[in-house]
Amino acid sequence: MFLGEATKQMSLQIVINGLATGSVYALIATGFALIFNILKFSNFSHGATMTAAAFTAYFLVAAKGGGLAATLLAAALAGALIALFGEFFGFRRITLKHSSPTYFFVSSITLGTLYEGLVTIRVGSNFYNFPSFFKNPTIRISGLVISTGDAMMCIISLVALILLAYVIQKTRLGRALRAVSFDRDTAQLMGINSTRIIQLTFVISGLLAGAAGTFLGIKYTLYPTLGSLVVKGFIASVIGGLGSLVGAVIGAVLLGLIETLLLSLLGSGYSTIATFGIMLVFLLVRPQGIAGSNIQEKA
Amino acid sequence: MALVSNILTQVFITLISVVGVYVLTGLTGMFSLGQAAFMAIGSYASGLLVVKGGMALAPAIVLAVLMTTLVGYLVGYPVVRLRRDYISLVTLGFGEAIAALLNRMTSLTGGASGFTGIPRRTTLLLAAVSAVAAIILVAFFKTSKYGRQCIALRGDELAAKAMGINVTRVKMTAFLLSVALTAYSGCLYAFYMSYVDPSGFGWKKSADWVIMVFFGGVNSLTGSTLGAFILSALPQVLRGLQNYRYVIYAVLVLLIINFKPSGLLGEWELTPRNLARTARSLGRKFGTRKETH
Repeated sequence: MFLGEATKQMSLQIVINGLATGSVYALIATGFALIFNILKFSNFSHGATMTAAAFTAYFLVAAKGGGLAATLLAAALAGALIALFGEFFGFRRITLKHSSPTYFFVSSITLGTLYEGLVTIRVGSNFYNFPSFFKNPTIRISGLVISTGDAMMCIISLVALILLAYVIQKTRLGRALRAVSFDRDTAQLMGINSTRIIQLTFVISGLLAGAAGTFLGIKYTLYPTLGSLVVKGFIASVIGGLGSLVGAVIGAVLLGLIETLLLSLLGSGYSTIATFGIMLVFLLVRPQGIAGSNIQEKA
Repeated sequence: MALVSNILTQVFITLISVVGVYVLTGLTGMFSLGQAAFMAIGSYASGLLVVKGGMALAPAIVLAVLMTTLVGYLVGYPVVRLRRDYISLVTLGFGEAIAALLNRMTSLTGGASGFTGIPRRTTLLLAAVSAVAAIILVAFFKTSKYGRQCIALRGDELAAKAMGINVTRVKMTAFLLSVALTAYSGCLYAFYMSYVDPSGFGWKKSADWVIMVFFGGVNSLTGSTLGAFILSALPQVLRGLQNYRYVIYAVLVLLIINFKPSGLLGEWELTPRNLARTARSLGRKFGTRKETH
């Protein structure tokens, strides 16, 4: 089939936008998958953590004239603190008592409701915009238009993910983390302080949530229910394979690409339906996801 | 009086959804974060059938509930055979997708500005009778073979399977029953408010219902009903605290989860036998106290 120059240009544009979207989804999905890995439950407070962290950074740094780096840092730190708070008040006792996983679930949605409620009390239902961090809002490379925000998003996400992979695969802490996620009790017997490791996992997940929240705030706007975009991260995790970090990243990039394509073909409302349909089909055909780590419920 | 009847009607409508969530969460241990989306489908479908299709109320409600259950089947089909986490993730995605769709199909649903002009047909009596009927239905379901199978698989899916329970089918039955109840409550809601818009059916509402079930006691239908009653009437009474509502809820539930994970009532059910037993034990307590004096 003959592709015209304009069509080629456009499809390239879609690929680039898709990668940018996918990189944020990857941050969300890995933050979610980390917790899933270690405590074996779906952390539904992740979305609200993103919102709360992004708003904290907005009020403390960006609204006072801080730059992108400072805002990101503040958001990541805020996310980590919020996640630590959640771990202590929501999950610590349940973990130690080996309670039924349903309590993790309720705890996580309760924490989500709490964060979102607190943000709503502070900001009402208003929309906030991050100040424009870049002198040139777009970069042009031979006819392609890339928004600077998207480019930064891609690069920073990539760096964060590589760093995460390094920590998990190559360091002592990472090894301890993997051991605890494999079998918490045995790891504890081997002298690993599993509570510390769980805390650490929440901190990492919170850092990622803060960064993702800021990026979402830059890409769209800041509003109290921004966290519901976390559902994209969930879909990415399901496509990639629940609990697998590599799967989460692959799923996220794939989802970003598909969504950008559908967006240009169908418009916003129907593309949401279509991505949902794709997830359902995926579950029917390959429920273990791309990475294929099917975590069965332990007996 | 009008205010009280208004509050009670809304509480009864919520109650129907919450006993649906009880079947799903309390009995079967599954969580749906898209439950409110089924309510949305129920209310839009019944509203559209009456307003644009010119149907009578009763057949419209029946048809809407059936349609919603069919949608529930399509969503549930790939999910019930998997780990229980999937159902919450998938229903959450489903809820977002439905909200997007309702916002998008402007010519049919009125989009974000809402769907108006639904006749106001739900009375306090209808809501109350429906709620009681729903509670009785669920009470029978709980003591039936299906209910006991649900409880068995909630505790341990693998063991339940080994005992010969068709886990996939029981999960699907519970899911569809809860979807049907929620859809029915959506119908009543539409014909009470005479106006529906997509923003009221987000994951927050579904989470709200789960919280109500846990507040009263996840293993007890009486507890869940009580929890729903208290938590849905409270914000109506304290209207000034509307913004703080979710924060107060969340703090209450966090306290309960940390210190009394089985909820207010635990496993206790309101049956004549249990009432008599409680009365007797209370009597004994006060009796012994007298003897020591």
